[in-house]
Amino acid sequence: MATSLMRKTLGATCLGLSMACASPAVLAVGDLLETPARPTELAPQSLLNDVAVAGDRIVTAGERGHIIYSDDEGQSWTQAEVPVSVTLTGVDFGTESHGWAVGHSGAVLHSSDSGANWELQLDGIRAAELAIASQEDAIAKMEERVEQAPEEEKEDLEWALDDLFFRLENMQADLDIGPVNPFLDVWFENDSHGFVVGAYGMIYRTTDGGESWQDWSPKLDNPQGFHLNAISSIAGGALFIVGEAGQIHVSIDGGETWERRESPYPGSLFGVIGTGRVNEALAFGLRGTLMYSADLGKSWSVVNTGSTATLNDGAAEGDRIILVGNGGAVLTSGNGGDTFREYLRDDRQGVMGVVPVSDTNLLLVGEGGVKHADPQGKNLQ
Amino acid sequence: MSNPKHDKGEHYLTTPKAEPFLERLIFNNRAIILVLLTILTLFLGYNAAKIQPDASFERMIPLEHPYIVNMLEHRDDLENLGNFVRIAVESKDGDIFSPEYMETLKQITDEVFYLNGVDRSGLKSLWTSNVRWVEVTEQGFQGGTVIPDDYDGSRESLEQLRQNVLRSNEVGRLISDNFKSTIVYAPLYETDPETGEPLDYGTFSRQLEEKIREKYEAQNPNIDIHIVGFAKKVGDLIEGIGSIAWFAGITIVLTTLLLFWYSRSVSGTLVPVFTSIIAVFWQLGTLRLLGYGLDPYSVLVPFLVFAIGISHGVQIVNAMAVEAAKGFDAITAARLAFRALYIPGMLALISDAFGFLTLFFIEIDVIRDLAVAAGIGVAFVIITNLVLHVLIMSYIGISKGGVRHVQNHGEKQDRKWRLLSNFSHPSVAPISLLIAVIGLGLGLYYKQDLKVGDLDQGAPELRKDSRYNQDNAYIIDNYSTSADVMVVMVKTPVEQCTQYSVLRAMDSLQWELANTPGVQSTASLADVSKIVTKALNEGNWNWYAISRNQTIINASIRNAPSGLINTDCSLTPLLVFLEDHKAETLQTAVEVVEEFARENSNEEHTFLLAAGNAGVEAATNEVISKAKDMMLIFVYGVVSLLCFLTFRSIRAVLCIVIPLGLTSILCEAIMAVSGIGIKVATLPVIALGVGIGVDYGIYIYSKLEKYLLEGKTLQDAYFETLRSTGKAVVFTGVTLGIGVVTWIFSPIKFQADMGFLLFFMFLWNMIGAIWLLPALARFLLRPERMLEKARTAK
Repeated sequence: MATSLMRKTLGATCLGLSMACASPAVLAVGDLLETPARPTELAPQSLLNDVAVAGDRIVTAGERGHIIYSDDEGQSWTQAEVPVSVTLTGVDFGTESHGWAVGHSGAVLHSSDSGANWELQLDGIRAAELAIASQEDAIAKMEERVEQAPEEEKEDLEWALDDLFFRLENMQADLDIGPVNPFLDVWFENDSHGFVVGAYGMIYRTTDGGESWQDWSPKLDNPQGFHLNAISSIAGGALFIVGEAGQIHVSIDGGETWERRESPYPGSLFGVIGTGRVNEALAFGLRGTLMYSADLGKSWSVVNTGSTATLNDGAAEGDRIILVGNGGAVLTSGNGGDTFREYLRDDRQGVMGVVPVSDTNLLLVGEGGVKHADPQGKNLQ
Repeated sequence: MSNPKHDKGEHYLTTPKAEPFLERLIFNNRAIILVLLTILTLFLGYNAAKIQPDASFERMIPLEHPYIVNMLEHRDDLENLGNFVRIAVESKDGDIFSPEYMETLKQITDEVFYLNGVDRSGLKSLWTSNVRWVEVTEQGFQGGTVIPDDYDGSRESLEQLRQNVLRSNEVGRLISDNFKSTIVYAPLYETDPETGEPLDYGTFSRQLEEKIREKYEAQNPNIDIHIVGFAKKVGDLIEGIGSIAWFAGITIVLTTLLLFWYSRSVSGTLVPVFTSIIAVFWQLGTLRLLGYGLDPYSVLVPFLVFAIGISHGVQIVNAMAVEAAKGFDAITAARLAFRALYIPGMLALISDAFGFLTLFFIEIDVIRDLAVAAGIGVAFVIITNLVLHVLIMSYIGISKGGVRHVQNHGEKQDRKWRLLSNFSHPSVAPISLLIAVIGLGLGLYYKQDLKVGDLDQGAPELRKDSRYNQDNAYIIDNYSTSADVMVVMVKTPVEQCTQYSVLRAMDSLQWELANTPGVQSTASLADVSKIVTKALNEGNWNWYAISRNQTIINASIRNAPSGLINTDCSLTPLLVFLEDHKAETLQTAVEVVEEFARENSNEEHTFLLAAGNAGVEAATNEVISKAKDMMLIFVYGVVSLLCFLTFRSIRAVLCIVIPLGLTSILCEAIMAVSGIGIKVATLPVIALGVGIGVDYGIYIYSKLEKYLLEGKTLQDAYFETLRSTGKAVVFTGVTLGIGVVTWIFSPIKFQADMGFLLFFMFLWNMIGAIWLLPALARFLLRPERMLEKARTAK
């Protein structure tokens, strides 16, 4: 207790003076969930996996528990106080001041001051316990069904029951190791309602700003437990989740119920965004795959991007579409996605997130941290 | 023998009695002694001729330092981590994507493959099958060799090559950032697995020059070849030792000319040169018999031995010429010279030897070897100079020209000596002291910047503008790698080196180090695990982390480079790439690791410092810093004690030692100003400078005391001192200086530094003895008391 308190104070002092704080007094290695992110000047040059906007503030999160924010369109950055050192994978703000960040070891962090200070709301142990409890529920229900089912359906249901047991065993084995699985994305509607999604089909919902969480995976048709890579809302209010092996799930009732959509592409999808027009969505992933739907995901048309790079994130404003991906790929379209122009950045480093801060300036985050680029993705300066 | 002037006590020190035992022993058996010495010379000369250059890595490092102990203990586990050469093949016009370039690169790769000593399975270049590109697809991984299977030099296949290169993850490692060069990476065997013979660095390095650089630069004028690596560096060092022969020749010629100008006597020139060379033969022959080779450090010693031999020989020639001028025959002149010089001569040589022996405080073998070599050399000079030289001269005598020169020149020079004797004048001496104090102040001021260790970028052993360092700079500029690597050894129980807790702790230390000034980057199994875990998850950066799941960790490091895990998985290295190898950089990094190791070493993992060139340098710096003060205290202690035992006066000791101290401080200031650090090569210089520098003071003071005891005033006594021995002292300073000054042109940087500093110390100590000693004497000595004491002693 005393040490963790000391560390916090020390971290704060370092930040107060400048971000250069050469060596904290305590170098003892503890669990990543209990180790506050080290204050460092290197955060803006380290891996950043996601970026979000809170009012005029840009907030981005990445490896080693780094969360940094900028109030001047990314010119200068301040490192936030974060109580964990796990790799963070997603960040989203429900309101200007309330934001959530998620990452490895099942970490869910909350900030109520626009990203300056963060607290841990959920970790992998508690998340796994919640999932195991609901899995046990599901098993109980299934056992009931097996008993009541007519003889000819029994065999199938017993198979399904076996599957449930198998998954439960896996979950318990994982829990024995510890908080092993990462969350991969987060979405919040406001300061109380939101979802976190992650590996092996994890999805949790809160309606009280993260005070309590419900395992929402039974609501999704994902029996194999494929990774859920990204969650977004689009104009019109529909929610989209995309994931491994062409998973697409859509909810039109604010997340209460979810429907599985058929994907024309069997490979993994890493991102989904709206176009700004009602009910229109773009989903993208491996090997330059980009799909467009104008009917809440019921039908998709594959768009030829001419790229083979894995696409991770995107932004759309009117007819302007920007997609970013691995190998320094930046794809831009000025005609609503009819044609794309691919630019491979000189550093060939992976890009995980994009914010168009102005007509002439893109802010990119990813491997190697924050970068400023022109509208085509070429480095500024 | 029964010379009338013999007993007047005019021509030798007052201390020795007439015909001391040693003199009788030597002069009554001249022929036998000469025959014995000739046989000894033939025997040792034969051995000297067979001495081999030897640049053993282990002898250059402090073997007793805990870092080095750790490194050597785990040497088998770390094998090949550092021993490789990188050959960058640069395209002068255009980039690497041309059929001509690729053809040359292919031939070079094949040629390197067949070089003896190359670990062929680890050889890497664009043309080897272990350099691959990988891509994630819906079906999983897809990949292939970077050179397309159907490569035919056409534009299509070059375009394919360009794409493969871009997705190979080798840009910055094997391919330069600007696509103008690629590297052929060749790991080396320390010992040839077929013959069991250790790798001959000299031969290997020569082969790289002849079979790779010269051959292919001639064959394809559009390429430049840059080669770096430990083996190449050592090869260049061995090559550098070869150029020493030139310096030796130049030194001998210069010294001979100077000696003739000084003595104007053929015998007075050739005999000292001859006997000094014999001392060198004895020294080298003895070294070989003791099993030593000539390493880049101790190769300095023959020059010192030669110079010391000459400078003491000059005293003999000088003394004999003075005696001969008085009309003595050759043998009497030789006896008188011996009688006058054997005590100060032996005292000076013994203090030289003690100066060298203080080097034993430095726990580095090359330095101890140097001490042994120099100690042996000086011991031999006592015999070659005081016995062999004197005996030969007793047969030959000083030629008439030489005697005339002494007579004429001596008188002509009196005016000059008269002028210089003013240094002891009551109104000049305070000014001298004031200047000395100012010099001391300036010296102390500038000396604050004195650094420990090597200060320049690149291989510190070689010059900045050497081919090797130019190649090194090229590779640093064009690739994202540093040449200064410190390796932390992470020790675990057997089969536990890949546990989550180990990787997690390493990752944590790496991040501390990444946040440490001077650290460029770090690498370990933890990075491999993170990057492969990411790759196994469809290349998604969200998965860039060490999994807590051991099964995933094991999968992620299945194909880790062999150097990162030892055979029983009980040791894994953590590589720290530093921006440079300045002492502060090393010190800061070492402190972070040590603190981390204290906090986090437990039964699961222990963090041990340190291997890698930077680890070795950190250890060396520590040893040097510790040894420095000890060595100075000891060398000054010994010199002061010897002077006190001889002259029985604290005041005498002060007169002799203070000018030395001033020189030592000025030397350190000059080092600081000219960017030379205290290191293995320069620390011995300080001891050598003091040990040899004291000679001047001893020669001057012994004469000065003699004349004072004859009742002369200080200035008169000093004038007589200068007249009789001043010239020899000045000459000694110049000869010693010339003996080492040629080293400034050595291709080996530390030899140049040694040469420069020794040159300064030898000359400046001489100036100190001529200029500052009499000024100090004016304040410190009380001639009346000395006379009184001498009288009561009688």
